[in-house]
Amino acid sequence: MDASNLSIREINSLFTKKELKPSELYSKVFENSANSEAALHAHLTLFEEENIKKAAESDKRFSNGESAGLLDGIPIAIKDNINIKNYKTTCSSKMLSNYTSPYDATVIEKLKEQNTLFTGKTNLDEFAMGSSTENSAFGLTKNPWNTDYVPGGSSGGSAASVGARSSIAALGSDTGGSIRQPASFCGLVGFKPTYGTVSRFGLVAFASSLDQIGPITKTVDDSRIIFSSISGEDSRDATSVINNQLDIPSDNTATIGVIKELMEDGISDEAKNEVNKVVEILKSKGYKVKEISIPIIKLSISIYYLIAPAECSANLARFDGVRYGLRVDGNTSYEMMENTRAEGFGAEVKRRILLGTYALSAGYYDEYYGKALQARKEMIDEFAKTFKDIDYLISPTTPTQAFKSGEKTSNPLEMYMSDLCTIPANLAGLPAISIPTGLSKDQLPLGVQVMSKPLSDNSLLDFSEIIENEVQFDGQPKGWL
Amino acid sequence: MSNEFNIENIAKLASINLSEEEQDSLSNDLSIILEHVNALSDLKLNSQQQEIFIHPLEKELELQEDEVVESLTHDEAISNAPESKDGKFVVPPSME
Repeated sequence: MDASNLSIREINSLFTKKELKPSELYSKVFENSANSEAALHAHLTLFEEENIKKAAESDKRFSNGESAGLLDGIPIAIKDNINIKNYKTTCSSKMLSNYTSPYDATVIEKLKEQNTLFTGKTNLDEFAMGSSTENSAFGLTKNPWNTDYVPGGSSGGSAASVGARSSIAALGSDTGGSIRQPASFCGLVGFKPTYGTVSRFGLVAFASSLDQIGPITKTVDDSRIIFSSISGEDSRDATSVINNQLDIPSDNTATIGVIKELMEDGISDEAKNEVNKVVEILKSKGYKVKEISIPIIKLSISIYYLIAPAECSANLARFDGVRYGLRVDGNTSYEMMENTRAEGFGAEVKRRILLGTYALSAGYYDEYYGKALQARKEMIDEFAKTFKDIDYLISPTTPTQAFKSGEKTSNPLEMYMSDLCTIPANLAGLPAISIPTGLSKDQLPLGVQVMSKPLSDNSLLDFSEIIENEVQFDGQPKGWL
Repeated sequence: MSNEFNIENIAKLASINLSEEEQDSLSNDLSIILEHVNALSDLKLNSQQQEIFIHPLEKELELQEDEVVESLTHDEAISNAPESKDGKFVVPPSME
């Protein structure tokens, strides 16, 4: 038995029974990363030496029967746009290549309180803008199932790390699918909680009304454990909410909706087949399943690519060469800023800043940004109406299996389309999860997405666990252990 | 929706110095993306209300008590500055 393949609860049970020590598991995940890192490049920084002492402290707590939490001694990787005090936070950008964080993100504080062991910082698309982890200034990450393919993005490093068992779980961030899409491409569970349930304090902002931190894990239960540990209202994030969970049924009294617009053109037969497979299972267990139409979903990409760049152009204005990050000289402050931003940002970040600047500029604001806000509000209303009769909405997570490295880099719009199914949950603030369900004919993972009403995260996880248990996806990429 | 834009002007507003090559490729990309987002202009909205949207869960933003809490020290706040002197950020002159 390889402990790095086990779930958090199984590992905790071994720790408690003194059949495995946290320091042994910690060494094991670093053995795994030594086997895979050169081929996958999941991490930008690895923390092995720093945490050996902390692992020994976990050993001692378990040996004395003093340990309390399920996350004590669990090795977790952190996306490199989440601040850990005294470590670099680069956001995979040349702009922040030398930035050392002077503070912890709220999620990091919470995980430290539980004595989680951090394994390292994972690669991402620069400032979390991308769907393949090809936009990193520090090199590509590869898919652990087949290194010719992308791991997805922007949390591609986090997914590759868990996929190759270089960590037991990882944190990612999801603005338009950046947790769920890489989880789906790498055969893992990816969970984007309800907007506001997890504090964004210490997450480097991309699009603040859409960004949300969440877990990438091997099992639904692992996501549940991490979500319950990192959620909660935070006075340092004014948009965070009290995590008062709604209880909706997860057993076969629940009604399931299949979103028609996400089962049409642009979605591969393989992706549709996974949804149909899950639907048949649910029907056989007595769930009522209906086809649901939410026409405005077809406009998701258009709405998102006005709102997200608009927020990004405002958020990334802070990178001006004055207080932190790169500085490229100029004769005046203004020249210095223009030169710094020209050299510090990569092509995709520039593209989005310019798009957002245009959408917010005088004369175009109402036409673009204002219209997108109104359309977003209508989408929220449409979802609310749907959830009066439907408990869970099912769709593919991604239109296709993972694509090959380089396949979509020359066409930004084609890359954007890979987030077609995941973006609606961010626009409406809904909890959404990707569950691995099968393999394509190319032997690459495929996933199914489930969404539910805001603040029903725990019920969504319960329902997802039923699907997980029925599907029995045997998900492990070969060759890394 | 109009798709006319002046890439030099947008780059100026965004404070990014673009090379000519970048101006060409980014103009091309922006045209393609804007053509796609124009699908929004066909949308018949149920409400014409120009709503400024802040929170996806429509949380009302509240004022917080004015309390002194622990935060970064001065040294920590300036620790990542590209250039500093006597605890202050140093920048090139703002006027020539």
